[in-house]
Amino acid sequence: MEENHILAKWLNNDLTEAELAEFNANPDYEKYEKIKNYTAHLEVPDFNEAKVLEDVISHKKITPKVIPLYKNWLFKVAAVLVIGLGITFMMQNFASQTQYAPNGKRTTFSLPDNSEVVLNAGSEIEYKKWNWDNNRNLELHGEAYFKVAKGKKFEVATDLGKVAVLGTQFNVKARKNRFDVTCFEGRVKVNYKEKEVILTQGQSVTFENGKQINTTVNTSKPEWLENTIAFNKENLRNILDEIQRQYNVSIEVKAKYPGELFTGKIPIDNLDVALQIIATTYHLEPNKIAPNKIIFEGK
Amino acid sequence: MTTNSLSETCDKIIFSTFFKSHAKSLRNFLFYKYGNKDQAEDLVQEAFIKLWQNCSAVPLEKAKSYIYTIANNGSLNEIAHQKVVLQYEKKFSGFDKTNENPEFILEEKQFKSKLLKSIENLNETQRVAFLMHRIDGKKYSEIAEELNISVKAVEKRIHLALVELRKEIDSIK
Repeated sequence: MEENHILAKWLNNDLTEAELAEFNANPDYEKYEKIKNYTAHLEVPDFNEAKVLEDVISHKKITPKVIPLYKNWLFKVAAVLVIGLGITFMMQNFASQTQYAPNGKRTTFSLPDNSEVVLNAGSEIEYKKWNWDNNRNLELHGEAYFKVAKGKKFEVATDLGKVAVLGTQFNVKARKNRFDVTCFEGRVKVNYKEKEVILTQGQSVTFENGKQINTTVNTSKPEWLENTIAFNKENLRNILDEIQRQYNVSIEVKAKYPGELFTGKIPIDNLDVALQIIATTYHLEPNKIAPNKIIFEGK
Repeated sequence: MTTNSLSETCDKIIFSTFFKSHAKSLRNFLFYKYGNKDQAEDLVQEAFIKLWQNCSAVPLEKAKSYIYTIANNGSLNEIAHQKVVLQYEKKFSGFDKTNENPEFILEEKQFKSKLLKSIENLNETQRVAFLMHRIDGKKYSEIAEELNISVKAVEKRIHLALVELRKEIDSIK
């Protein structure tokens, strides 16, 4: 191809001396030279530019109407919409999300990574949607069951301690000064004050007033999900608190609180049965003075 | 004043200067292409009228490609191609003035007319590029810009034009 254009280069006086010498040796050189010289003296008839210009300028200019952008009402509407959507987006992603289960109710919801959370009655969870996959931290007040999707470290902070996991199913209960964590699948790391405990499947740990109790469970889900509550060496005060939360009732004990600890299950879908279990265990008499007010009296 | 702030192209003096530096070469370009001088001039006029009317929308640096585009588009259907009839400068009679040999003078004359005929017979793209260089004295880069092709393509066209001309001249008896 390069060689093809040599005539164009020569015509434009672009050849190097060596190329030129070679070209001059070409038998057709003289003919090309003649074409070059003669075509340099060609001309085209003149034309009357001045007359054409005069004619052109005599035409009217088309002046487009310029409407400033800010005067356009559509622009205003668009701006308001954009700002509004922007704020909504910010709120949704940066502001803390709160999930709440009132007394007597449960809330089930999914986190942005599809981890499942079931909030037990009278509990609350706070978390941030923004960058959730890299920052799976949430704050729990009360009790919840977690089915964590695989991913980065998942951390549950409570007032009493922290639970960190990598894709697993576990239950956290932090009420008053008792902190229970049960692991149903995978591994869970529990921090309570300076202590650190690692739970594997079927293990449970309880911290109460600085005391640590290790237990094992053989269920695959927390009992409260199946409408019973399992208590493990629990005192009456905590048990009654739980019943009040589950049934959304208020319970009063008009007797000396017995000190015995209770281990067993109490249903959360049948108040009468629940009250009867307490009554028999602690030798108390339940009196329903209103549908949601119960008084225990000593026998 | 408002027109001034919109585009320099609307300024009468700037527009006239622009017209003077480009009208003739645009006319020549169209003439090399179609061989019809009057219609080439009409097209030039049309292109510049459009530029003037829309001056506020066309910045000066875009004006050149604007008029070439319009002239090219406008010419698609309208123009009947004719032979490109060129002439030599009036004072140009030949190179070797001292040689009064009648045979030589006759040969010169024959060569000149053969050359013109060969140029007429060139294909359109080669002829346009070749004449823009030979008559208007344009650089290859300018030709490339106006024809909207690469400099390499211009060189190719000119090279082929020269090859073609040499062959033609040899073949015309």
